[in-house]
Amino acid sequence: MEDRRIQERPPDAPPVDRKVAVALSGITKRFGDFVAVDDLNLDIYEGEFFSLLGPSGCGKTTTLRMIAGFEEPGEGEISVAGQPVQGVPPYRRPVNTVFQSYAIFPHLNVFDNVAFGLRRAGVKGEELRQRVTRACKMVQLQGFEKRKPRMLSGGQQQRVALARALVNRPKVLLLDEPLGALDLKLRKEMQLELKNLQHEVGITFIYVTHDQEEALTMSDRIAVMNEGVVQQVADPATLYERPRNRFVANFIGQTNLFSGTVESVNGEKVTLVVPDGAKVEAVAQDGAEPEPGSEVHVAVRPEKVRFGAAGDNVCTAEVRQIVYLGVSTQYITWLPDGRKLALYQQNIQDAGGYDVGDEVTVSWDARNCLVLGG
Amino acid sequence: MRGRNSPGFVHKGVSRLPDRALLLMAALIYIFLYAPILVLMVFSFNEARSTQVWEGFSTRWYVALWNDQSVLDAFYNSLIVGGTSTIVATAIGTLTALALTRYRFRGKSFADSTIYAATVMPEIVVGVSLLAFFVAVGFGLGLTTIIIAHVAFNISFVTIVVRARLSGMDESIEEAAQDLGANPVTTFLRVTLPLILPGVMAGALLAFTLSFDDFVITFFVAGVGSSTLPLKIYSMIKFGVSPVINALSTVILVATMILILGGSRFFMGKEDR
Ligand SMILES: Nc1ncnc2c1ncn2[C@@H]1O[C@H](COP(=O)(O)OP(=O)(O)O)[C@@H](O)[C@H]1O
Ligand SMILES: [Mg+2]
Repeated sequence: MEDRRIQERPPDAPPVDRKVAVALSGITKRFGDFVAVDDLNLDIYEGEFFSLLGPSGCGKTTTLRMIAGFEEPGEGEISVAGQPVQGVPPYRRPVNTVFQSYAIFPHLNVFDNVAFGLRRAGVKGEELRQRVTRACKMVQLQGFEKRKPRMLSGGQQQRVALARALVNRPKVLLLDEPLGALDLKLRKEMQLELKNLQHEVGITFIYVTHDQEEALTMSDRIAVMNEGVVQQVADPATLYERPRNRFVANFIGQTNLFSGTVESVNGEKVTLVVPDGAKVEAVAQDGAEPEPGSEVHVAVRPEKVRFGAAGDNVCTAEVRQIVYLGVSTQYITWLPDGRKLALYQQNIQDAGGYDVGDEVTVSWDARNCLVLGG
Repeated sequence: MRGRNSPGFVHKGVSRLPDRALLLMAALIYIFLYAPILVLMVFSFNEARSTQVWEGFSTRWYVALWNDQSVLDAFYNSLIVGGTSTIVATAIGTLTALALTRYRFRGKSFADSTIYAATVMPEIVVGVSLLAFFVAVGFGLGLTTIIIAHVAFNISFVTIVVRARLSGMDESIEEAAQDLGANPVTTFLRVTLPLILPGVMAGALLAFTLSFDDFVITFFVAGVGSSTLPLKIYSMIKFGVSPVINALSTVILVATMILILGGSRFFMGKEDR
C-alpha cells in the first residue's frame, strides 16, 4: 500500500540549535486493539505556534493528553523542556491546558478560577492579586473578576480558560480546539487575538484543530495527522504549495488530482502519461526520484490553472459549471476523457467571461504540478 | 393560564372536563394522604384521654411527654444512632460513589449491582441476617449494633444519590484542577467536593431520615435498654393508643418537616445562586 509514515525534517525547518520545548519520539498509544496514535515523532520548538491538524478522531486530543499527562503512551518517550516526563503526574508537569469544553470551575468566580494555579504554587497576597489582574486584563476580562462563570458568554468563558492557564507562565500551553464552540465571527477575531497573545507572551503553543483554514492562519508550523499517523510537518506555505501526499493535498485547500504512469525523469522534471495518452509535465518532490514506469498521482491547485495556451501543459476542455465567489470565479471544466479540472479566475476588470458549454483552452506550468507520494 | 396559546374554542371546551376530573382526583389523593395525619395532630391537643371525642384544647400531653424520661431516652438514642450512622454512611457512600464513577476496577459491575440490590432487599431479611451475624460473632446487642446496621443500609442510599450528582459532572473539570497543579487530595477538597456537596447533603439527609424512622431492622438488632424512638412508640402502643403518642408523633412530624424544607431550600439556594 502507500507509505504513510513521513517524518523527515521539512527542508525549511528551524535551525537545529533552536531549543526543543516538547519532543515526542516513537509515541504509540493503543486503546485495546485500536491504535489511536501510531509511531509519532515530533520536535516542537520554544516560542513556536505549532498546530496538530487533522479530521475528527485522528488522535489529536490523545496526543495532547499524553503531553499533559492524562494518558501515558504505550511506547515511546515524551520530553518537556529537555526533561523526560514519563510517570510524572499532570500536576507536576510544566504545561497547562485550555480544554475543549473550557472546564471552568463553576463554583468559583473569575478571580478564583484564574488564581487557582497560582495558589497551588504558593503565590499569595499582593503578588497573587497583581498577576491575576494582569492576566484578566490580557484577555480583556478586567471588571469581570467577581462574576460567576455561568454569568459569562461562551467567548468570555473561553478567555477565562485562557487566562487561567497563561497566568502560570507554563513552558508550553496546550489548546484543544479552543475556538470550536464559538460562532464564526468571534472565532475569526479570537484567531488573531490568540496569535498576538502568543507573540506577546512568547510561550510555546500546541494548538489542536480540525479546521485547516484556522491552522494555516495561526501556525508557524503544522503537523497534518490522519488515523493516528503524521502525514507531513511543515509551515503553512509549504503544506499548501508542496503537499507530500494525496491526503495532505486534499485536506489542505482544494486541488486537482491526476493519476498517470511516469515516462521519463530528468532532474526534478517528470513527464507522465495519463490514461487517455496525453502527456503531463510535472515536478518531483524535493529529493525524490520517481521510477520510470511507476504509477503516481500529481496535483495542481485550481488557481494555478489558467485560460489560454501559455503553459507547459495545455488541453482543451468544456466548461460545465461556473461558481461566482466574489473575488474570483470558479470554473469546473471537463477534459476530453471525462476528468474534472477546476480553475479559479480572478475577477479583475478585463477578465474574459465564459459560459457553460464553451470549449476552452486551459493550461498550467510544470512547476505548479507536483508528483505526490502515496 | 390555560388556553392562552390556544385560540380555538374547541380546545377549551374539550380540555375543561379532564381538568376538573384531574383536580378532584388530586384533592382526593391529598385527603387520603394527609387526613389521618391531620386528625392525629389535632387530637394531640385534646383535653380528654380519648382519641375519638374532642373535649377542648390542652397541651397536657406535651407536658406529659416532656416528663416521661423513657421517651426522652429513646429520643436521645435515636439522635445518637441517626447522627453517627449518617456521618459514617455519608463518608463511605460518597467515596463508594467516587470509586464507581471515576475508576475502572475488577468486579466493578458486581459492586455496582449489589449497591442497588441492597436498597430493595426486604428489611426483614436484612434484620434477621444481621441478628444472626451479630450472634454468630458474639457481638453484644446494643446501640453499637443498631448503628452498624443503619450504616450498612444507608451506604447504598447515599451512594446512589451522590452518584447521580457525580455522573452529571464534566470530568475535565477535575482534570483542569490537576493540570493547574492540584494533587488528587487538593483536587477532591477544592473542586470535586464543593461540586458534589448538594448531592452529599441530600444523601446525608436521606440517611438520617431513614435511620430515624427505621423500625424493622432496628427491632432485630436492638438490645435491652437500647430502644430508639420507633421501638419506644411501638411498645407504648401495646398498652393502647394514648394522646401522648399523638403528641410525640406530632413533634417528630414537625421536626422532620423543618429538616426537609430547610434542606431543600438550602439545595435550591445553592443551585440558583
Ligand atoms: N479513552 C479512550 N478509550 C477508547 N478509545 C479512545 C479513548 N480516547 C480516544 N479514543 C479513540 O481514539 C481516537 C482518537 O481520538 P481523539 O484523540 O480524541 O481524536 P481527535 O481529538 O483527533 O478528534 C478516536 O477514534 C477515539 O474514539
Ligand atoms: Mg479532539
